[in-house]
Amino acid sequence: MLAVKDLHVAYGRIEALHDISLSVPGGKIISVIGSNGAGKTTLLNTISGLIRPRSGQVTLDGRPLPAAAHLTVAAGIVQVPEGRKVFSSLTVDENLTMGAYLSRRADAARTRQEVYAMFPILKQRAGQAAGTLSGGEQQMLAIGRGLMSLPKVMLLDEPSLGLAPKIVKQVFELIQEINRRGVTIVLVEQNARKALAVADHAYVLENGHIVLEGTGAELASNPRVEAAYLGVQAAEA
Amino acid sequence: MEGTSTFSFVVQQMVNGISLGAVYALIAVGFALVFNVLKFSNFSHGGVIGISAYVGFLGALHLHLPLLPTLLLGTLAGGVVASVVEFLAFRSIRKKRGQLVYFFVTSVTMLMLLEQVLVIFFGASFFTYPQLIRTTSFTVGGVSISILYILMMVCAAVAFAVLAWALRYTKVGIAIRAASNDLTTTNLMGVNVDFIVLATFFVSGLLAGLSGVLLGMAYTLYPQIGQLVVKGFIASVLGGLGSLTGAAMGALALGIVEVFLITVMGAGLSPAVIFVLMVVFLLVRPQGFAGVSFKEKA
Repeated sequence: MLAVKDLHVAYGRIEALHDISLSVPGGKIISVIGSNGAGKTTLLNTISGLIRPRSGQVTLDGRPLPAAAHLTVAAGIVQVPEGRKVFSSLTVDENLTMGAYLSRRADAARTRQEVYAMFPILKQRAGQAAGTLSGGEQQMLAIGRGLMSLPKVMLLDEPSLGLAPKIVKQVFELIQEINRRGVTIVLVEQNARKALAVADHAYVLENGHIVLEGTGAELASNPRVEAAYLGVQAAEA
Repeated sequence: MEGTSTFSFVVQQMVNGISLGAVYALIAVGFALVFNVLKFSNFSHGGVIGISAYVGFLGALHLHLPLLPTLLLGTLAGGVVASVVEFLAFRSIRKKRGQLVYFFVTSVTMLMLLEQVLVIFFGASFFTYPQLIRTTSFTVGGVSISILYILMMVCAAVAFAVLAWALRYTKVGIAIRAASNDLTTTNLMGVNVDFIVLATFFVSGLLAGLSGVLLGMAYTLYPQIGQLVVKGFIASVLGGLGSLTGAAMGALALGIVEVFLITVMGAGLSPAVIFVLMVVFLLVRPQGFAGVSFKEKA
């Protein structure tokens, strides 16, 4: 289980996350929804070890996470960053190699076959520069690259951003499929409707505070969430 | 008769230009490696070139090293000095997420510092490498080819072959290329970026070291010899900052143009003309020779 406890994160004097606590039970999908600038990416980057919190703790299975990003990956937490961030001048295959940077050779070879089986399009384009892929294909590659490290927990930052609705649907099906294979998912999304639909449990982040939490279904029917994130007009008072 | 002599003159100049360009390419590619990862123009590269040139010189003079060990010694010295520079000068700026201008200013400062180290130990006087190659040149069809020029081309070819292999097939090499795309995301792959940046400086320093020894053998040694890093800078700008192949192409073009300009208008005027040509070229083609950039798709 991944647990975030009393987390405060600041950029200089400006505090971006205030007293955040959340728990991510193993094998579940946890969504964090919120608007642009609410602190969602900051939260993931803190878990990943890219940002050091001012105070508070992140633990995986009771052990505090190391303070460096490359050690966090070794501990079993991988991030699929916002905007895909595929290595554009590397080939698709080399991107997967980078994902398996810490893996043993045999594990990497086996996982690569699994990723190619999951994404046949990537296998077809294995030798092509990743920058030449379409946005949807780049997202598949970013997720596949994340899987290469055989993570216990996958942090996904806005995986649906800028994708066509049909591709968004595929991406969310894929996230559920990865979860079924035993990977715990932390999903950060502006697309609240989709994120809540797949979530076992969800949090609403506003201006660095967690303002609501509940099951995906509970939050989806919460009037405040409906008004602010689902685009449903509040009933006339 | 007139025709053949013009022809052999052109061939002669081409040979000279390509071999000079080969050494410039060693400088330019080393320069571009660091630029790609940390996005700043690393003029301390010139200091590394200078130190390595003198280390090779000392090895040849005092340890009586033959040609190949001298080249290896200078190359290795470059790798070590560049790593030390990264560790002492650039690491803390990176840790504090300093602006690019800090890196740049520090790199110029390190160039001057390393030059002054040479002045302290060797004075401002000139030295020449001991004779490491017995025959100095041979003649083919009226074209006189210096063995040193052949050496320059062979060294560059071997160095680039090894580099290309390492960047394509080794884990650290692929990680250096990934880091050139995006250092933070490379970190998110579980890569220790401190190590990758150090490795990048080491490899860049190896190339600086090799070019330093070759320059030392081709010219006389003086503390400011490392300022030839400017040629590498021009070449990598011509080639399109960000591309190693482009930097090497830019360097070859620069070497050839420079040799012709020097024969036509002399060594005094040619640097000025080269800068003008560079500006004109960049107006026409701002992305350089190999300026193909991939855009991330949103």
